[in-house]
Amino acid sequence: MGRSYIVDEAVAKYLGGLQADPGSCSTGLLAGQSSPQREFVVLAMQTPHRESEGQLKSSRGGSQLDDIDVEWVTEHARQVSRMLPGGLCILGLFLVTPPELSKDAQNTLKRLIFAMDKCIGKGRLWELTEEDVTDRVTLHICSKTKKTVCKTLDVKDPKSSAKPADWKYQTDVSSSWPMLTCSVEVDLPIPLTGSSDNTDKCMKDGLRRWAKQIEAGNCLISGRQALDDSELISGQKKNIKTTHRQTLPARILVSDEQPELDERCSALVQLCSGSIRVRGVVHCRAYIHNNKPKAKHAAQAIKRDIINTVSSRVEMFLEDLLISEGSHKGLCTGQQALPRRVFAPMPFSGLSVCDYMFPDESTADVAERLKEMLDWETPEEDIDISLEKNQLFSPELEIIDGHDSSKHVISEEVENSKIHKAPHYYTGVAVAATIALLATATSLLYFSE
Amino acid sequence: MVYSEECAIIFRVKGILEFSCQLDNPNGSQSQSIISKSFQGLRSKVSSKSIVFTVCNSPILIWPNTGFRSSMESLTEASSCGDILQYIESDDGGSKKSIKKKDKKRSGPTVVNMKLLFEVTDPAGNEAPSLIQMSTQQHFVKMPLHLDCVVSVTTDESLTFVCTELVETLRKQLADMEEVVLRYRKGSSFLVPQPFHFRLPEPAGLTTVIYPAGVPDSQLQAIREDLHRKFELPSDRPYLRRANAFHFPDAAYKDGYLRNPHVHLNPPNIEDAKLYLVQGVYSYHHYMQDRVDDDGWGCAYRSLQTICSWFQQQGYVETAVPTHTQIQQALVDVGDKEPRFVGSRQWIGSIEVQAVLNQLLGVTSKILFVSQGSELATKGRELANHFQTEGTPIMIGGGVLAHTILGVAWSENTGQIRFLILDPHYTGGEDLQTITDKGWCGWKGPEFWDQNAYYNLCLPQRPKTI
Repeated sequence: MGRSYIVDEAVAKYLGGLQADPGSCSTGLLAGQSSPQREFVVLAMQTPHRESEGQLKSSRGGSQLDDIDVEWVTEHARQVSRMLPGGLCILGLFLVTPPELSKDAQNTLKRLIFAMDKCIGKGRLWELTEEDVTDRVTLHICSKTKKTVCKTLDVKDPKSSAKPADWKYQTDVSSSWPMLTCSVEVDLPIPLTGSSDNTDKCMKDGLRRWAKQIEAGNCLISGRQALDDSELISGQKKNIKTTHRQTLPARILVSDEQPELDERCSALVQLCSGSIRVRGVVHCRAYIHNNKPKAKHAAQAIKRDIINTVSSRVEMFLEDLLISEGSHKGLCTGQQALPRRVFAPMPFSGLSVCDYMFPDESTADVAERLKEMLDWETPEEDIDISLEKNQLFSPELEIIDGHDSSKHVISEEVENSKIHKAPHYYTGVAVAATIALLATATSLLYFSE
Repeated sequence: MVYSEECAIIFRVKGILEFSCQLDNPNGSQSQSIISKSFQGLRSKVSSKSIVFTVCNSPILIWPNTGFRSSMESLTEASSCGDILQYIESDDGGSKKSIKKKDKKRSGPTVVNMKLLFEVTDPAGNEAPSLIQMSTQQHFVKMPLHLDCVVSVTTDESLTFVCTELVETLRKQLADMEEVVLRYRKGSSFLVPQPFHFRLPEPAGLTTVIYPAGVPDSQLQAIREDLHRKFELPSDRPYLRRANAFHFPDAAYKDGYLRNPHVHLNPPNIEDAKLYLVQGVYSYHHYMQDRVDDDGWGCAYRSLQTICSWFQQQGYVETAVPTHTQIQQALVDVGDKEPRFVGSRQWIGSIEVQAVLNQLLGVTSKILFVSQGSELATKGRELANHFQTEGTPIMIGGGVLAHTILGVAWSENTGQIRFLILDPHYTGGEDLQTITDKGWCGWKGPEFWDQNAYYNLCLPQRPKTI
């Protein structure tokens, strides 16, 4: 008896419609929501095509499976997981192979799953709990017979073998999933100690401390405290097949607990070479399945979204800086805008995905990214950019600590805000490879223990 | 349950606010204004719409600065404080009720504990986030401020009034903390300000004082002198040492010892008698505690421990109550006993008690000798005077037993007397019911003493200090 996967019919259609060159292999991601009893798959997207390199290699005569670029697949997974709102995550991978390679498919899937999990987990600022499911699904599809084999791998245990799982199709899996929303004000001063190479670690520490506060905070959903195992929506509205999607406003209440400082008689004083402040409002969303969801899981989903959206943006900003200026020493004095969050309707279901838009980008760029990452055409007018406003650059920066405010010259700030149009996700060969490599390197730098 | 107008409720709100600031030059002239500005920011935060009070052990949440919004529909601006009590679950459910009935008048005011939280959602703007970087060298200062504010009201007072008062009190506490921080700051070394509550004689009542952490009471003498003057307190006994802090009725004592079991007793019914009792707080020490089996020999040691606990809790000493070994060692140190005394099961008497109190606590004691137990009945006046002026527990040894006298009921006219005795020979657990029912703490008549034996009483004297 393995895990149960309830899969939206639309995913079945997508998988069935995949065109692959005969004899070649293709991979892709499966996304949705996991719960202790079962998992819901609502989205599938193939790995974006990588030009030329792959084809060159195949002439060597090695197995097609060996040619699958693990780094590329995991990088795609990492980018896509940033686009998923709270409650949703990458559940696993699918692999399409010609019949003659089917017997080796499982090994490849195992390699991919473990690599992907490691990559996605690196940037995480919150801790997994015991209740978090560590099984990932692998779906092998034979390109000739269209036969599917579904198994799960436990990423907690590298030595474990794949277990069979249940793959069932259903219509409208997520149509009445409630959506939690909130806007969160962030104002986080982070001291920078040590040399400028230490910036990433300081930022990570600062964000992590803030993330702990959010995790420990009280969450109210529709005015009620979401503490325990009580059901999210009690009483009426248990009709699963309603088309109306409820929007549940969430509130987060925090306190400035700092257990590591509690026993001290004196203040903690750090000599810093500077400081960074993350300030602004983030708009957050999370979805929860409507199969008797518990209040505390809903609370967890929205809290994780809050933490993820802030850390993703900072991560993206630093990656962008790395690409465009070659090092982090490029972080200059003054105010620099972090990318804004925008939402777009998800393929097939009524859920939304998100993306981040740098100040010099437009909805056209977002649409392009959505096409590449999610394999889905989104009309530009469907992209909602109204939830977060563009940053205002104040001519007089607050004199926070007695500096001469004339140091913060307006023109300098405006200059900094014009961030280069970094080719984030283009599939130009050289650039794509560089990005993948650099991004991985950044993650290693940024989040390695 | 009967509500009366005098039924007081204490609302206590606790919370942590992080103080942080950045100083270019900690010794520069600008630093004071930077620190003050940070405190001003915290005061604004407390007055902002985003603060929330949660009422502990209840589902109630109150936003005090938004025209009183609460999470409970039945609680509105017009609600009185008494209304809030029905929503609060008491910590120990049923058992509390049985004691409540008996001790309603003794259990003191009800305490409503609240926690201070901040809402991070529902912000004023929706501007996407930015990174703001400063690249000048700075001292980044950070410390948690443990806020702890109390407001005492009657049950019919409105909830809105209480919330407004609490917010005001929080602001004032931040201002007091700012003062302490600035006064004790040396460059970039900041001492954490800590609030202490003291129940002072009326009209001052429950008062909060901020002391800097890490500075011992002995160095805060000048502050206490000022406050004694301000509140018109006697200048010969401590009221404002940290140990004198008010013990909230709902808080358990972490060390597990019973405090003042005698308050649960009914006084003896003697015509025309007045009560002269121990003042303040002591812990009940008796046989078998602390995993020491001193059954049969430790009674005087336990009485001495009770006395030491009194001096500690009234703020005269900061040292812990001594163990049997420490008591024995003290007697060796003063030359009263040979070194092999330590670790033995030898009895001690009043003279030894006097010596140890002097050696370990710096406390002097008077010795009262009676040649016959029957004579004790005639010592009413001395004992009454002692409890009135010193108010310390008395150790009495004689026959083969030692006890602690906590007070007398004495009639000046008829000479009738009863003794309030705390018996260290009790070997059971800290069960108040048993201790009071079975007379381990109880009123005894003159026949309690061995009429023919001689007795020595050790009467500890309060040091004249604040």
